[in-house]
Amino acid sequence: MGTDAVALLGFAALFALMLLRVPVGMALGLVGVSGFGYLVGGEPALKLVGQTSMRTVTDYTFGVIPMFLLMGAFVSTSGMSRELFRAANSFVGHFKGGLGIATIAACGFFAAISGSSVATAATFSAVAYPEMRRYSYPQSFSTGVIAAGGTLGAMFPPSTVLAVYGIITEQDIGKLFIAGIIPGLIAVTMYMVTILIIGMVRPGFLPAGPQSSWRERYAALRQIWAPLLLFLFVIGGLYGGLFTPTEAGGMGAGGAFIIGVLRRRLSGGDIRRSLLQATRTAAAVFTILIGALLFGYFLTITETPQKVTAFLTGLGLGSYGVLALIMLMYLVLGCLMDAMAMIILTIPIIFPVIKTLGFDPIWFGVIIVMTVELGLIHPPVGMNVFVIKSVVPEVKFATIFRGVLPFILTDLIRLVILIAFPLLATWLPRTMG
Amino acid sequence: MSLRTGEPPPQRNLMDRFIDAIELVAAAFVGIVAADVFVSVVLRYFFSLSIPDSYDFGRLLLGILIFWGIAATSYRGTHITVDLVWANVPPKGKRIIDVFATLVLLFVVTVQTYTLFDKVRTTRADHVLTFDLNLPTWPFFAVAWAGDVSAVVLIAVRTYRLIFRPELMAPGPSLKALE
Repeated sequence: MGTDAVALLGFAALFALMLLRVPVGMALGLVGVSGFGYLVGGEPALKLVGQTSMRTVTDYTFGVIPMFLLMGAFVSTSGMSRELFRAANSFVGHFKGGLGIATIAACGFFAAISGSSVATAATFSAVAYPEMRRYSYPQSFSTGVIAAGGTLGAMFPPSTVLAVYGIITEQDIGKLFIAGIIPGLIAVTMYMVTILIIGMVRPGFLPAGPQSSWRERYAALRQIWAPLLLFLFVIGGLYGGLFTPTEAGGMGAGGAFIIGVLRRRLSGGDIRRSLLQATRTAAAVFTILIGALLFGYFLTITETPQKVTAFLTGLGLGSYGVLALIMLMYLVLGCLMDAMAMIILTIPIIFPVIKTLGFDPIWFGVIIVMTVELGLIHPPVGMNVFVIKSVVPEVKFATIFRGVLPFILTDLIRLVILIAFPLLATWLPRTMG
Repeated sequence: MSLRTGEPPPQRNLMDRFIDAIELVAAAFVGIVAADVFVSVVLRYFFSLSIPDSYDFGRLLLGILIFWGIAATSYRGTHITVDLVWANVPPKGKRIIDVFATLVLLFVVTVQTYTLFDKVRTTRADHVLTFDLNLPTWPFFAVAWAGDVSAVVLIAVRTYRLIFRPELMAPGPSLKALE
């Protein structure tokens, strides 16, 4: 059997295993090693397993993932989300749709210290949803705002998805984190504008909340010093070149722990829960990282990336045409699998195409994360939608997806803006210390 | 990814407590690695001091935490999976898929454990040492490998339970949260 046939068979086997719920990392590893073993030999293939597994888990650079996961877990457990929401609400809650705007603002801020879309969506389903319902906001809008706000976790530093993209493509994770800031801020602004437009187009659909006094606003602002300090400390250190990404994660985790303990927001049980949460997620991410690296050997031996690159660049679509095709593929894949699996499975194949086309790898990282984050809210997988449904089971899936639709449209417009103006993602990393 | 909610807590026997202990070991190592990084940076910037082998300890402990974490994650069934088919089949189909996926998992992790032992053995034979203190690295690798051994044991337990005692399967954490 030729290498092309083996590669095709490998991909078919991979998708079959994944559809049969074999963990993505294990399926990648199994197919990768089997394919490599078939083409090169069983013994070298088996050697790869031990070496790659141990090298991956003892790579200091990869420590960025558990460190930021731990920071996010401490932040989530210590209840900073409620303070962020209260502060944002005190300033904009009295506008029509103001609670939605406050949710987006608080989600953005929370994302910037937790780095997790799922955690952001889960947290604000518990924090913001009851408030919005109390003021008679429609179920569809309330859940839609939270699902969309949750996606900000994938864009703002410390985004786990961006970190994994950086590991796979060997790009500077610190620069990738910083590159996500302006696109993240654009996302926040555009979501807020979307809410205002919904309020204007459908008068009476979105009620206004009570207006806070300046004394209340000041009091609410005083409560958010902790997350603000943590964000400035971690991102400032990263931007200024004081910390490597792994160190920034460790400092963030240590900082979140100290703040939580000093403010009596982290009990012994909370600390244990946070550590367990970070461990579980880190183990799951590392499993697919090991699998992806093993699968990478199979891709190399079958020259799949080179062949895909030759095929796509030979289509005569031009660089942006190929980019559009890739984006479309990700949107379709988003219907089948989650963001992390998509990134790990496809980037080793797509990245050489992007480099050949002359696109900036940092910019592409931001673009690709924006694209896969759409998969977090669009049907049928829509992880954030599932998360919200688990927290507020009385809301139907169809209702949440209906509420998310305007934000999907906003995301598509934002994607076009970022593609048209790459500087929005590349400028800030270039100024780093 | 998938969610698991609303399942009643099963009775916790010795095996469940053993699994909890494994998970706690891994969780403790996350804390130790974070503390190692935090203290190293603080000492470097505020006292111009460094912990000997902080870098090596950090990465070696990371290896330990990940393999022990994988053991617990494999048992709990909280790996990243594509649930499209699973979510749309009746309970019997779900169970068949779960058993198949767990058997594949058992096979892959067993092979990994076998090959990792070879890595531990060669590291010992090559006298690979840490940078500052010249400590042998193989004991760290061996502890990490022990995590993979427990993964094999736990997946075997999961497989047995899925096939013969499904009522004993502990529900995973409420979320398989990733990105």
